[in-house]
Amino acid sequence: MARPRGRSAATRGVFGIEDPALLLPERIALDTSLVVRALIETQPLHEACSDFLERLVTSEVTLVSSELLEAELAEAAFGIALAERWRADWRRHRRDGRARRRGRRLLADVRSRYELLLASADHGAVPIAPIAEDASALMADYGLASYDAVHAASAIAARAEAIATTDTGFALLPASLLRVYTDRSRVAACRALRPQR
Amino acid sequence: MSAMAKTDGKVKRLTDAELAAMTRPAKISDPAERRAAVKRATSGLRVAARVTRSLYRPR
Repeated sequence: MARPRGRSAATRGVFGIEDPALLLPERIALDTSLVVRALIETQPLHEACSDFLERLVTSEVTLVSSELLEAELAEAAFGIALAERWRADWRRHRRDGRARRRGRRLLADVRSRYELLLASADHGAVPIAPIAEDASALMADYGLASYDAVHAASAIAARAEAIATTDTGFALLPASLLRVYTDRSRVAACRALRPQR
Repeated sequence: MSAMAKTDGKVKRLTDAELAAMTRPAKISDPAERRAAVKRATSGLRVAARVTRSLYRPR
């Protein structure tokens, strides 16, 4: 069989988490998007994300995260409760107290699962205050959205070599600052987003 | 002047001491138990809504 001509596409520091040959870093940052998909069985990409977490943990990779991640998990829990009741109209019912009981139960469940995950690995949570200035600089320099910038600055501060995510926004950073580990369906989009220099 | 020059390689990194102080060692050390713990953490939670980015993070 003829081999394809030309050079293979550059990785641009973006890698697919489903690749069994993927080299794991010593230290990786977790983004909320990947954690939510891993913890909740009914979400798209659940298997890929949970398998990847299992691989990280059994390979003794150190996990780091922003303290923002726990707040976002709480937001997700209450958001799910609202979306279950109000579907696409959930934003208009943000103050609907009837969803809070379900939200509290979901939050307790998600939190205990997250703590169990963290019990399985060395883990560091980066506070927001020390990285706030750098997060602003990442927004100004590369166009990251604010919360993405907080996660990225936390990852870099904690010397994570990569971030595990299912959001493409982190690819706005140069590969020299942070590698992106994402699901295979987003690899091409992330590589296309990477700055040229 | 290139904006990239501002932060490229200059984003704050925690010192070794700061990193050590921040890092909590795993409570579970046995590899099989670790794998089982991740399986427990990631199995069985089902919800009736799709979690989109807008549910937990504003643009």
